[in-house]
This record gives sequence, C-alpha cells and structure tokens, in this order.
Amino acid sequence: MGSNSIIRKAVLACGIAFAGALVPAAFTTASAAEIAADKSNDALYADAKAEGSVVVYTSNVLAGMNAVSADFMAQYPGITVEVTRIVGMQQYQRFAQEVAANQNIADIINLTDKPVLTELINSGDVARWKVPTFDRFTDEYKVEDGGYALTATIPVLIYNETKVTPEEADILRNSWAGVLDPRFKGRFAVQTQKCGLCYVGVHLFLDPANPAKLPDNFIEKVAAQEPVVYADLTNPIDRVIAGEQDFTYWSWEAIAATKRQSGAPVRFVYPDPTPVFANNYFSVSGHAPHPNAARLYMNWLASEEGAKSFQKHFNGATTLQGVKDERSFASEDWYKPVKTEYKPDFKRWGENYVSDMEKWIDAMSKK
Amino acid sequence: MDATTATETGTAVRTPGARRRPDRHGWLAPDNLLIAALSIVVVVISILPLIYAIDAAFYKETMIGLTTQRSLKAIYEVYFTSEYLSYFWNALSLGFIVTVISVVYGVGMALIISRTDIPFKNTLDLLTIMPMFVSPFTGLIAWISLGSEKTGFINGVLAEVGNFLGFSIEPLVNIWTFGGIVWVMVLFFCPFVYLFTIGNLRGMDSTLEEAARTSGAGTFYTLTRITLPVCLPAILSASLLVFILSTEVYTMPGILGAPDGFVTLTWQIYKDSTTFPVHRAHAAASGTMILWIAVAGLWLQRRLTRKAEKFVTVTGKGFRGKPIPLGVMKWPALIIVGAYIIFADILPLIAIVLSSLMKYSSGVLTADIFTISHYVKFFSLSEVRLALWNTMMLAALAGAVCVVLGFLISYFEVRRSNRVTVTLAFLGTISVAVPGLIYGIGMLWLYLKTPLYGTVWILLLAFVAKYLPYGILVSRSGILQVHPDLEQSARVHGASPLRVIRSILIPIAKPTLIAVLFFVMLSSIKELSASLLLYSQKSPILSVLTWNYMDGGEYQFASAVGVVQTILMIGIVIITRIAFRIKLEAATLSK
Repeated sequence: MGSNSIIRKAVLACGIAFAGALVPAAFTTASAAEIAADKSNDALYADAKAEGSVVVYTSNVLAGMNAVSADFMAQYPGITVEVTRIVGMQQYQRFAQEVAANQNIADIINLTDKPVLTELINSGDVARWKVPTFDRFTDEYKVEDGGYALTATIPVLIYNETKVTPEEADILRNSWAGVLDPRFKGRFAVQTQKCGLCYVGVHLFLDPANPAKLPDNFIEKVAAQEPVVYADLTNPIDRVIAGEQDFTYWSWEAIAATKRQSGAPVRFVYPDPTPVFANNYFSVSGHAPHPNAARLYMNWLASEEGAKSFQKHFNGATTLQGVKDERSFASEDWYKPVKTEYKPDFKRWGENYVSDMEKWIDAMSKK
Repeated sequence: MDATTATETGTAVRTPGARRRPDRHGWLAPDNLLIAALSIVVVVISILPLIYAIDAAFYKETMIGLTTQRSLKAIYEVYFTSEYLSYFWNALSLGFIVTVISVVYGVGMALIISRTDIPFKNTLDLLTIMPMFVSPFTGLIAWISLGSEKTGFINGVLAEVGNFLGFSIEPLVNIWTFGGIVWVMVLFFCPFVYLFTIGNLRGMDSTLEEAARTSGAGTFYTLTRITLPVCLPAILSASLLVFILSTEVYTMPGILGAPDGFVTLTWQIYKDSTTFPVHRAHAAASGTMILWIAVAGLWLQRRLTRKAEKFVTVTGKGFRGKPIPLGVMKWPALIIVGAYIIFADILPLIAIVLSSLMKYSSGVLTADIFTISHYVKFFSLSEVRLALWNTMMLAALAGAVCVVLGFLISYFEVRRSNRVTVTLAFLGTISVAVPGLIYGIGMLWLYLKTPLYGTVWILLLAFVAKYLPYGILVSRSGILQVHPDLEQSARVHGASPLRVIRSILIPIAKPTLIAVLFFVMLSSIKELSASLLLYSQKSPILSVLTWNYMDGGEYQFASAVGVVQTILMIGIVIITRIAFRIKLEAATLSK
C-alpha cells in the first residue's frame, strides 16, 4: 500500500520532470538588447560586467583562442570568456539551428564563409557593429559592418628543418611547381580535407589565368610525386614535426609558426605566388545573450591590443593596418616574407569549389 | 496459487486455464503506471531521437543544410550508387576481418586463462580486459606514436637493436594502412570476445569435459568437440557485437585509412555531417544503412543469447574441474596472452604518457624534448577542470540511471512478460545499434527547443540512451538468476512488489547491478561521437576536449587529457575490484 503510493508519486514526479524538460525554450528566451552604435568601451564595459560573460564559438585552435581570451579578461576583469570550438560548417549549422529555435547561446561567432556571413548580416542574425577601428580594416578583410577577418589566412609549406635543406626550401619557395622536382618524390604530405585553406591551393592551380605558371595537368603531376595523403589539415603537420614526412604541401602559416614557437624543428616557406586572403571572420551575434560584453570583446579583438594578442598566441598575420608585425619568426634569418600575393577570385570559388575539390581528392586518391 | 509458473530459466509464463488474480486497480495499478512511465522514458530518450535522425534522410539538401521539401534523392544515392555502396562495403569488410581476428585471439585467450593452469591468472585476466577501459581515441593517438613508419617508437627500437647487432632493419610497422586500422581495432575489440567467452567458460559445468576425458578423449578433442560447441552461442553473440561496433567506429579508419584511400561509411557520415558542402540527408540515409545491419545483428544476438541461456549450464558451481596442465606449452601460452597485453596495454600506455610529456611529436627522445607543461596547463585551465568534473558527474549519473531503468525494464520483461514489456525491453536496447553520431544529430534536433539544450543534461540523456541497453540486458541476466519462488513466497507473506524488489531481488542481483553501474560509467567517460555534437561551453567533457585539442594539432596536450581520462577509468576499475570485490566482466551481455 505504502509502496504503491510511492510508485504512484515516483511516476508522477517523473512525468512532471519530463514535461518540464520539454517545455519549449520560447518561454525562456533571452534576446539581444539594442545597443547604440556609438556606445563607448567604458559604457560597454560597465554594462558588460553586469552580464558577466561572453560566449565565443570559434573554429580556431582552442589553446590560442583561450590565451587570447585570457588577455581580454586581464584587461576587463569581471567578464568571463567561454570558448566553444565548433569547426567550419558545423558552427554555422549550429548557430543557425539555435537562432531558429530561439536558443541563443553564442555572443561571438567565427565563420569562414563570406556569402553565408553576408546572408546572416542581411537577415539580422549577425549584428551590424562598427568596431572603433573599422576604417583600419580594408574592405577585403571585413564583410560590410558585420564580420571582421582579424588575421589574413596564408598557406605555407611547412618543412622539417632536419630533413629539407635550405636549397630545397628555396626550390619550394620559388614556385608551387617546385614540388615536381624528382628529389621530392615520396617525401611530402597532402590532405584531402574540405575547408577554405585546404581549397585555396587548388583554386590557384585551376586558375584559368595560370598566375603560378604551372604545367598542364599539374594536379595529376603532383599526385604522381606520390605524396602521403592525410584526411585532415593537422595530421600532416604533426607528421612533419615528428620527422615522418619532410614537408606538407600546404598548411596554415599560423599553426606552423605556433609549432615553431613551441620548439618544434619546423620552418616554412610561402610558395610563389602566395594566396593571402580573408577566411576567418569574427562577428557579433544578432541575438547575443550578452550584447554589451559581445561588443566589448569584438572591439577589443579588432583593437591593437587584440591584434598583438593574436600575433602572440596565434601567430596570425594581423589585418589591422598600422600594427607592426611582431611575430617572433619574422625576425629569424631563415624567414622570407611573401614575394607575390595572389588574391582568390571568390566568384569562381563559389562556382567551382565542389568540383575543384573533387578533382583534387580524386587525383590524390588515385595516386 | 498465482496464475504463472516459473520456467527453468526463471521466466514467468501463464499456465493455460489458470485464473488470473483479480487486480484491484486495473490499468491504474502501480505496476502498469510504472510500465507506462518507463515506456514514455524509453520513447523520449531512445526512440524519438532515432526517428528525428532518420527523418532527415527524406529531405532535399542545400549546400549548407536541408530544405523543407521532401526528397528521396539521398536515399537513392546512398542505397543505389557505387560511391556509397563502396563505403558500405569497406565498412563491412573491415568489420568482418576485425571480427574474425578478434574472435580467434579472444577465444584463444579465454580458453587459456579459464581452462588451463597458466600462471598469474588473475593478473592476466585483468590486463586482458584493460583496453576496454582506455578510450579508443586515446589509443589511436598512442598508436600513431608507436606505429608510424619512419618515426614510430616500435620501428625506432627495432632499428636501434639492428644497429647494435650490426645489421639494418627496415621499418616493419606502418599504422597508416588498412592493416594498421585492423591491428588497432583488433586490440580494442578482443576484450569483448574474451569477456563473452570467458563468462561462459567459467560458468560451464565441467562434468561434460571430465566425462569426455574419462572416456579417453584428448585435450584438443575435448576442447574442440565439447568446450567450444557449448560456448558457440556466446562466441557468435560476441562476433555480432564486435562486428556491429567495428562497422560503426569512424575515427580510427577515417584517420588511419586516409593514406590508403580507405573510406568507410561511418567516416563518410562524419564528413557529410560536418564539412562543406554539407550532405545531411546523405548522412542520415547512410545512418539507416548501418542501422539495419545493427538491428538485424541485435535481433540475432538476442536470439543467440536466449539459446545460450538454454545451452549453458549455469549451475552456480562454476568451473571446478582440474585445469588442463600446459606442461612445456606454458611458455607459448604465456607468450600468446603476454603479447596481447604488451601491444594492447603496456606499449600504448607508455606511448601516451611519453607523448603527454613531450613538447612536440618526435621519434627521437632527447632530454630537452620533455616537459610537464601540459599537465600544469591541464589543471590551470578552468575549462579543463570543468570538463573533469562534468565527466565524472555524468558518468556517475548515467551509471545510476541506467542501473535503475535497466533493472526496472528487465524486471517487468522477465516477471511480467507480455507484449508491452517485451517490446519495451527491445526498444530500450535498440540504441546499442545506432552509431553515436546519428544519435547525436537526432538528440540535437529533438531537444533543441527545450531548456535541456546547451546544458550538461542533454549529454546525460545521450549517455543514458546509449548505455541503457547494457543496463537492460545485464540486469535481465541478474534477475533470471533469482528463482521466482522466492518472490512469490514473499508476496504470499504480504510483501508489496516494491518490498520484494528491495528486499529480495536487489540484494541478490547487487553484484551485477554494481558491475553495470561501473561499466556504464566507464563507457560514458569514453563516449565521443554524440558528445561532439551536443556539448557546449557549459558542458565540456574530457573526451570532447581530447578530440578538440588533437583536431587543432595539439597532440601532446590531447595526450595529457587522454592520460588523465585513462587514470580516471583505471581508478574506477580498481575501486570496483578492491572496494566492491566486483569484476566488471560481470557486466557483459553474455551472462
């Protein structure tokens, strides 16, 4: 009898708990307040302290982003930055789903796709926010007044300094076709991940104007050099550091420099011409639960302090004009800066991304 | 007299013609209410996410998601085009090869440890199952350090030995191949076969073998004609489980298979779900393909497990016969088991600890490469501390919930056997057949509009859904061990159903339930697939952190996280052994 009553109560409690759990979030929404476009950092900080935190969705390396955020927190005590790493398209999907469900969690998002970002700005899901340094970013590195590429994305060939001679490094630096030199057969790694940086080399190779002066069927010729194919961008870098492969055919400058900073025996070259482009935009969510903290954080990221923090912890090439390149490797004797910049054609990028990547993946798979 | 009669296995069945005892409450009886509540829980936690995930297969795709238009294009392309069928075939062939090798080695080790006089039995037993308590992802990082062709520690040591002896040894091992994938997966799945088989071998009545030997049969004849046939249902059951698990794993074949151009269906699901252009409908359609195999396997496994219950003579006496004397064969037997322990436990643990203490990956170990900075960072990052806390809390809660729900569902399936309770038990176990990635997608969509989204509790639901099958299946075997007469006599003396459960069933089944608790805890600590999609800044867990740091190229910090995760799991194993005197092998589905 007593136990039957307990069972009934338990069942009732379970029912209430589940019903409670399924209550639509619409009833518990938090919406971003309207923030005056000219609100000063001091005013933002005063209100941000009351909000307490800022939630950042990032595609970047977690340790670097945490370090950058720590610099921000040191400058603005009382605000906690909570970083969640969600990469590439996953981040867009998650953000879009959350917005659609009125489950607003992210204050700052970090997308890589310019057309997608433009769409989000126009729909109001990304806030229009002119950072105080707005005019110091060229149009190339901002999407209207809603997205800021704080660093330029630059592909490099990372090599193990104990495996590749300075003479060989020069061959690789002078031309993307340097990799076809017979001496490099079977010594390098490529990857078949789909991402902006992963694609930019292919985009250059298939440029009808052929600015890199590459031979016909270049991709097939690269495959004939028998590279080792990895599934993602980071495995080849780790394998080069370990000495398993001699160099990557191509990776990200920022990771290469960060690894060198940690003592790894790697250097890198910028093969000529070198794509230098925007592929890593930070934006304030149009539905930020912490709208003041989000804008303060965005202002700081786009400031000189933010640029220096990015240089220090990410080794990213800052796009904020007037900031000196203080990255440690830039003063080393082996370092040779980009010779000729190559600017991707984003119209062709949008049209051919899928087919070009398939061509690259197919060629590497059939090597 | 009650209207039911106990069968030999303890399952209650209705006696034809017997009068049913009048029920004072009808449909509102506490039992029925509880069954209804459990049904709701199972549907909400296990079934609805699955339906949501499968539903996505029937939509038209854009480059970044799904439209609202229905379409069969993804289903067609997955089921009828050579591209996806080749991924499917790769998954099946990999699963088949891994299963065959795991079964041969796992059964071999179980026979040696349970049936012979091999020394150090208890130690070998514990070390053989230890890979189950290491995250496969951590193991993968370890094997990249160990088995890479030019810089792997194994080839490095062999080369040094060769140099010392005056000749050169070419690299023997390359983990970045199809063979490498099979090798690492076999190391991780062997313990499943071992546990399934050794449970049967230990519980088996030895008089059959003794009779065979008395009649002049040799050791080999007895093993092949008596011992193994009796264990066959359990071996087949283990084979199916390993096959299902190995077809759904995606990180190992995905990462290690790339240089060989080897792509499995589950890796393609991962890529379709996460990289641009997104093929979410294709991912869902591919998930259904894996699901059918797994459901068929699960159904077959349940049949085989039932048959096993009939065949296996679980007398409670265990194996009391004289162990087979190995004589001079003791050393080869020790080498067989020892080699497994070296490759599955010792080398990966050394490699992962070394990796966690290095500044960067290197095949050459020099003093200046070592650092403890990753551990300093581990304990200084608030996110990592939160992840450690979340991991332990979720593991404990998931374990407790799975024990309670699993026990109740099994109790009703066994003691109130009818279509509803049997269906409930089946539905509760179906999630074991669903790849975690697909489950994660379904959970995300189902709970997106609820306050659970973005909290640690959605991970708890995912863990409960994923590991409830263990709770149900293992509790079931525990309940079957209790003869219904005990409960019936308690009821005759006026005990309520709850009192019967509390005072009779739970005390007897306690060791099994504690084993389930810790087994689910360990599995939850390792879970990655669903967690990757469901975690948020408020709910980081160690497995996701390991992935995130490795994906960001920080292998050494990922290794440090992996080491802490492994210490946590080994700690749980030791606690269960020493404090509770319970072996986690009690939590296998073979019982």
